[in-house]
Amino acid sequence: MLRRLRAPHGALALPAWVFLLAFFVAPVALVFWYSFGEKPGLFGTHSNEVLSFARYGEAADATFLATFWNTLRIALLGTAICLVVALPFAYWVAVKVPTRWRGLLIALVLVPFWTNFLVRTLGWQIALSPEGFVSSGLQALGLRDDPLQVLYTRGAVQLGVVYNYLPLMVLPCYVALERTTASLREASRDLGAGRWRTLTSVTLPLAFPGIAAGCLLVFVPLMGDYVTATVLGGAKGNMVGQLVASQFQTAQNWALGSAMAVLLVVFIAVTVLVAAAVALLVRTAVRRGRRVDLPAVASARVPAPAGGRS
Amino acid sequence: MTALDDRPGTRRAAPAPARRRRSTSSALLGIWGALVLVFLFLPIAVIVVYSFNTGRLLTSWQGFGFSSYAAGLDRPVIRGAIATSVKAAVGAALLSAVIGSLAGLALARRGGRWAGLLTLLLGLTLVTPEIVDAISLLGWFVSLDSDAGLPLFGNGLVRLVIAHSVLSTAVVTFIVRARVSGMDASLEEAAADLYATPWARFRDITLPLAAPGVLAGGLMAFTLSLDNTIVASFVQLPGGTPWPVYVLSALRAALRPEIAAVSTLMLVLTLVSLAVVALVLRRSGDSATDVARTLTGGG
Repeated sequence: MLRRLRAPHGALALPAWVFLLAFFVAPVALVFWYSFGEKPGLFGTHSNEVLSFARYGEAADATFLATFWNTLRIALLGTAICLVVALPFAYWVAVKVPTRWRGLLIALVLVPFWTNFLVRTLGWQIALSPEGFVSSGLQALGLRDDPLQVLYTRGAVQLGVVYNYLPLMVLPCYVALERTTASLREASRDLGAGRWRTLTSVTLPLAFPGIAAGCLLVFVPLMGDYVTATVLGGAKGNMVGQLVASQFQTAQNWALGSAMAVLLVVFIAVTVLVAAAVALLVRTAVRRGRRVDLPAVASARVPAPAGGRS
Repeated sequence: MTALDDRPGTRRAAPAPARRRRSTSSALLGIWGALVLVFLFLPIAVIVVYSFNTGRLLTSWQGFGFSSYAAGLDRPVIRGAIATSVKAAVGAALLSAVIGSLAGLALARRGGRWAGLLTLLLGLTLVTPEIVDAISLLGWFVSLDSDAGLPLFGNGLVRLVIAHSVLSTAVVTFIVRARVSGMDASLEEAAADLYATPWARFRDITLPLAAPGVLAGGLMAFTLSLDNTIVASFVQLPGGTPWPVYVLSALRAALRPEIAAVSTLMLVLTLVSLAVVALVLRRSGDSATDVARTLTGGG
């Protein structure tokens, strides 16, 4: 009976396997293959007649590395700013706001998430342009003498990426904080912990998985982003994604572009693994530092109430 | 969006021992929350407001009117781009709904080695940078079209539907898996005991129970496809430019109010489909948090 029930279910995954192998695994493998080739003459895009690692050497030149560090800086700073902005907001929605308003507020956070990101970025372009309303407003108030010159700078790109990825940080933080029930915080307070202590020893450690998920959800796509930089950063393209795109769209050197893409993916994977290892180590160290040895407590006399940790 | 209200009575308000200090921190958090919401809605409000600009240039405000809507919907290029986008989105929604729902059912009902590997592969499609998907699919479609001699992959719409489905199959799979693993397997077993054929069992029991997940997943795939810019800009073919790619190319020329007008219309289309998703999920018993998690891509 069970066998009869299960056999067809396994086969149900077959279309997904075929589809993903044909249009995800195979294309990515093809890019990997192209990265060992070369650009044959002026009009070809790729050739694998001669295989070499030369494209990787070519990809890792000074311009690329400078762009790489710039991308990493924007991504790390962007993730950090998103966390600093999103965490208090998520805490506010999950803890302070009355239950019946929470759904509405989360829905409001989802609206920008689901607006086409090009359109959101365009909105910033209008707002920040030298003849835009922010600029003229600041000048009318006498806060600035000359038109605003934010557009097409690194600051504008940073603002744009923080804006674009903020909802991806808010939602996992909110989901995690929403689960840390009020009774745990009350228990912490009843046991004599102050509000700061409750926040750092109870609420934040419980929300840690959500915070980690948020950082991952922001950092990974941010590293590969390039449209935000194209729209707000102008001609001075300084994200790796733009370099890859230009090799495919303008330079028509697919071999070099593929090598850059492989380097980008490897770099993202390594960064995420290193960050995960560091986060785990820190968590273990913190837990060890805070550990309360129960046998010692049990053998001691009953501690005075509200006396903190014995 | 009132459908997103949380279930009543899941939590009671915490007592306030030190009321004054509490209220200051609450007030500060409240101010911060309001500021974040203003920040989140500023550029969207700007686009919606500027879509009513009657001037010739988007960035300089002339006056209020609907001329940009009329002008935008009047231009064949823009109408063509919207048509391409909607066709590709419907195709991608159908394709990924079929593939993703079947995979979701399989993953929910059967563990084993292959299930873990498939989950990993689907997870990878979600975290791969879009630029990598874009260039690999471009190379692959070109090879299939010219080297392998399959003219099907020289069709721009086919390319868009496949490329967008690669991005959204995982979302549909995870939504359907979450729905089906929450439901009772005994109904299917009962049907099997009553000599229902596998097909009849699937059609009469499994599919109706999974339907809200399939519908929500399909609509998510629709909106994902409607919004996709990066992959679409690589795999598209001349004459079949979808709307977001048209906006991207228009950025290099002077921006006109028509862009804002049509973008506002597309935003309304996206929000209506998402409201339907939220409604479907709420009707079938998800909490607001579950709905929010689904709407950010499975999880």
